[in-house]
Amino acid sequence: MLSELELRVLSFIKDKGVTSSTEISASLGLPKSSVFSVVYHLASEGYVRIVSTKKERKLVLTEEGETRLKAGFPEEKLLKILSRGPVKVQEAKDVLGKDFEIAMSWAKKRGLINIQRGEITSLVQTYKAPERELLEKAKRGERLGVDEVSLLKGRNLVEEKEETEIEVEFLREPELRSALLFLTPELIRSGEWRKYEFKKFNVRALPPYVPIGKKHYFREFIERAKEVMISLGFSEVKSDYVEMEFYNFDMLFQPQDHPAREIHDSFRVEGKGEIKDEELLKKVKEVHEKWWNYKWDQEVALRLVMRSQTTATTARVLSTSPKPPARVFTIGKVFRPDAIDATHLIEFHQLDGLIVEEDFNLRKLLGVLKEIFAGLGIKEIKFKPAYFPFTEPSVEVYGWIDRLGWVEMAGAGLLRPEVTEPAGVYSPAGAWGLGLDRLAMLFLGVKDIRDLYSDDIEFLRSRKVEAQW
Amino acid sequence: MVTITLRKSRLLEKLKLTEGELEEVLFNLKSEIEPIDQENIAIEINADRLDMLSLGGIVRAAKGIMGVELGEPKYKVVDTDYVLEVRSVESRRYALGAVVYNVNLDQEKLRELIQFQEKLHDTIGRRRKKVAIGIHDLKKIDTKRIIYTTVPLNYKFVPLNQKETMTVSEVIEKTDQGKKYGNISVYNNLSPAILQEDGQVLSIPPVINSEKTKIEEGTKDVFIDVTGTNLQAVMETLDILVTNLAEEGGVIGRVKVFDITYMNFSPALIRRVVEAKVDYISKRIGIELVGKDVVRYLSMMRMDSYLEGDTLKVIVPPYRIDIMRDVDLAEDVAMAIGYNKLEPLQIGTMNFGKFLKETSLYRAFRELSIGAGLQEIYSLVLTNSNYLEGNFVRLLNPISAEYDAVRNSLVWTTLKFLSRNQRARFPVKVFEIGEVVVPSNSDTGFRNDLREVMAVMDSKVSFEQLQSLLHQVIVNATGIEPTYEENDDRLFIPGRGAAVMLKGEKVGILGEVNPEVLVKFDVFYPVVISEIYLGKIANLI
Repeated sequence: MLSELELRVLSFIKDKGVTSSTEISASLGLPKSSVFSVVYHLASEGYVRIVSTKKERKLVLTEEGETRLKAGFPEEKLLKILSRGPVKVQEAKDVLGKDFEIAMSWAKKRGLINIQRGEITSLVQTYKAPERELLEKAKRGERLGVDEVSLLKGRNLVEEKEETEIEVEFLREPELRSALLFLTPELIRSGEWRKYEFKKFNVRALPPYVPIGKKHYFREFIERAKEVMISLGFSEVKSDYVEMEFYNFDMLFQPQDHPAREIHDSFRVEGKGEIKDEELLKKVKEVHEKWWNYKWDQEVALRLVMRSQTTATTARVLSTSPKPPARVFTIGKVFRPDAIDATHLIEFHQLDGLIVEEDFNLRKLLGVLKEIFAGLGIKEIKFKPAYFPFTEPSVEVYGWIDRLGWVEMAGAGLLRPEVTEPAGVYSPAGAWGLGLDRLAMLFLGVKDIRDLYSDDIEFLRSRKVEAQW
Repeated sequence: MVTITLRKSRLLEKLKLTEGELEEVLFNLKSEIEPIDQENIAIEINADRLDMLSLGGIVRAAKGIMGVELGEPKYKVVDTDYVLEVRSVESRRYALGAVVYNVNLDQEKLRELIQFQEKLHDTIGRRRKKVAIGIHDLKKIDTKRIIYTTVPLNYKFVPLNQKETMTVSEVIEKTDQGKKYGNISVYNNLSPAILQEDGQVLSIPPVINSEKTKIEEGTKDVFIDVTGTNLQAVMETLDILVTNLAEEGGVIGRVKVFDITYMNFSPALIRRVVEAKVDYISKRIGIELVGKDVVRYLSMMRMDSYLEGDTLKVIVPPYRIDIMRDVDLAEDVAMAIGYNKLEPLQIGTMNFGKFLKETSLYRAFRELSIGAGLQEIYSLVLTNSNYLEGNFVRLLNPISAEYDAVRNSLVWTTLKFLSRNQRARFPVKVFEIGEVVVPSNSDTGFRNDLREVMAVMDSKVSFEQLQSLLHQVIVNATGIEPTYEENDDRLFIPGRGAAVMLKGEKVGILGEVNPEVLVKFDVFYPVVISEIYLGKIANLI
């Protein structure tokens, strides 16, 4: 593959048909040395043929020659001064300085001036030194006559040097660039590729950006949490976001005037649900009225909300009277009005589990919780007694996080008979709920909960894929 | 959770504990402490343990679990010659009263008592709707007969912390307390009132007390009135108040209540007997217990009990209103043992768990979409209703316009996402699989629907560019070649929108987004988008 420079030189040679190294150097503004190396390379690759190589003595301008060509000859300067009229000798001497002697000598020799009573007078209208033209020719490499050469040499304007001059002839076109950039099936099949050299790439250069497909880091965390539950023998269940207060609260033994049921703690939705199971309604009404000592209102229970806890899903499962042994879990979004900031959002995920077994008890519940948290990567946990309207005994789980200490992570308990029995479940049942978003933040090193739902694709692209957690 | 503030030194002194030990003891009583400053600590109390909302109650419970004092404390109760006459108050039927001698308020005790009153208002009182408390300096009450009745709204008195006489209406309209609670119990232009026999106001429940009987530093004895709409809650509130004051050295004085059928004296100091089988408690916790163990553990929870055969009879003290039945006793026994002393039991795995169909679908389509080179995104379910079209769920009580509706399609949330990413490195190629909410014939009238959206935004996009990816995703997930039909959805540029068909059913849409729509979302680059209905696809294969 030819370089840019080689292509330029080859193209010049092609235009001329036959040319010389001097001509190439002068026309393309290249140092002679470069021209030789390029031409020899082109010749070795067969693009050109070297017709002749001559060592030639050549005239080269001396420094003096270059200067005079640029700045003018002394006698030219003198005659320019005289063009406005005669000048005193001393005056001309002052203006010309050290050039004065040379100027006077050549001007007199060429009969250009007359000196009378200390005054110099010009004898010609204008004057251009013949040496100027000769020097320009010499510079272009044109030949000069013997007298001419000796004139210039005499004035120390040129010197003779030995130089190599090559004459070169164009032979063939350069190959197309693309053929050498890309290997093609045709080149491979025909074997043509052997004739080419592959362009060398700058393999150290960084590549351009190309987006790749990637899993969302928070959803990946959620999927792994599902796997933990599956591995413990729990089957996944779900229910819908729009829920009746009945499943969100009433079945969970939360009295209708419970502070958590106030309007600012759940999002209300227009409409009214329908429950066909009259028996269930009746029994839930009974336990509420018996224990909470108020008049239970079915209309309130049928109101719609955006579910505020996935325990609503657990309640839905219970309402189908699951036969022990039963183990289910759900992971889903819940919705709660709240001021949005770095640690609060109005929707987040909960993982809720339910286990119904003949001889289930508090210690087994603690065992399940321990296994779940171990699966999620929390090795050390402790239990705190707690209060939830629907469980008794109730427990809160605290997990140890190295840089934070003990962090509250889940609520759990054995479901109250007031929750299970109206649904026809008479075996002990354990239930728990844990917020996944906070846990994910701890594991994924996220400081702002909103980053879990980031709408900045560059943030998502920048997230490293977690190899383990 | 309810938070109260207490003087740390008072608590540590009474319990003879270090701060670390106190933290441990309270943790096992469902509570947590948080230092506020050098002198004060905040204590979080669980909503069931209203008896722990004051220093006395915390000390009582702590001493029990520490084993320092066991069983129900016997507080001194004396009869007084105070009489509470309860007349007909339709809007707030119930009232009870009590005297507590020897309360001896200093600056700190006064602050604690007012805090206790407020916390009870906020919890069992349901912000004073259900129960309200008035506490008076007994010395400043001039008559032995105290009357609960109604007064007209032009009735005058000097409200607490005011200098001038005001009418009840003025209090309701002008004072902060009045604005907050004034309308709870006014009915037929009458307000409930607690009066001296001579008609002077002691309090206007549930709004405010009178300045006349204000409690202050140096107050020795108090009179407490509790009014409300639910008798049980009124009784319980008064019982908790007086027993907690008694724990700190107060002497409870009984007040005669008359002209009503429900009580003769108050406070009622009700002790309920709750029965439980020892075996049931053992099984519930998962530990072998004999009767006398349980009796002892309950005494640590400050409850007396005795055995009748294998039945445990527990005399629940007046302040433990959270104990309803046997399961509640099981928790108290577990607490007395200590949750962290109970060894967790391994449950073993009997069956394999199963993923939901939705999860399997999600995983299959997700893998393929990533294979197609799309970045997975995850947006919120709640969104701005201005962006939605068609039938959708609107929140009745949104907290901001940005989140006032539930998405009914992933197209809108995705266009919103794209509009925020116009300065990102192009091309922006994304997908999301998630649930939207649509009307249905379910028991709520709505259901979740699982969908997938895919979109490409670039300086130049084409229908075919996304179609080719979508096609492969569907073929690979279902084994069926989808077909495409014209779709003149306004979302798309005319002639560049399609319905995605599988076995003759429409399972999604695909097309280049109409600039009219792009501009609405402030998107200024071309977008090709597709939404497919995974639930429907799953039903077809």
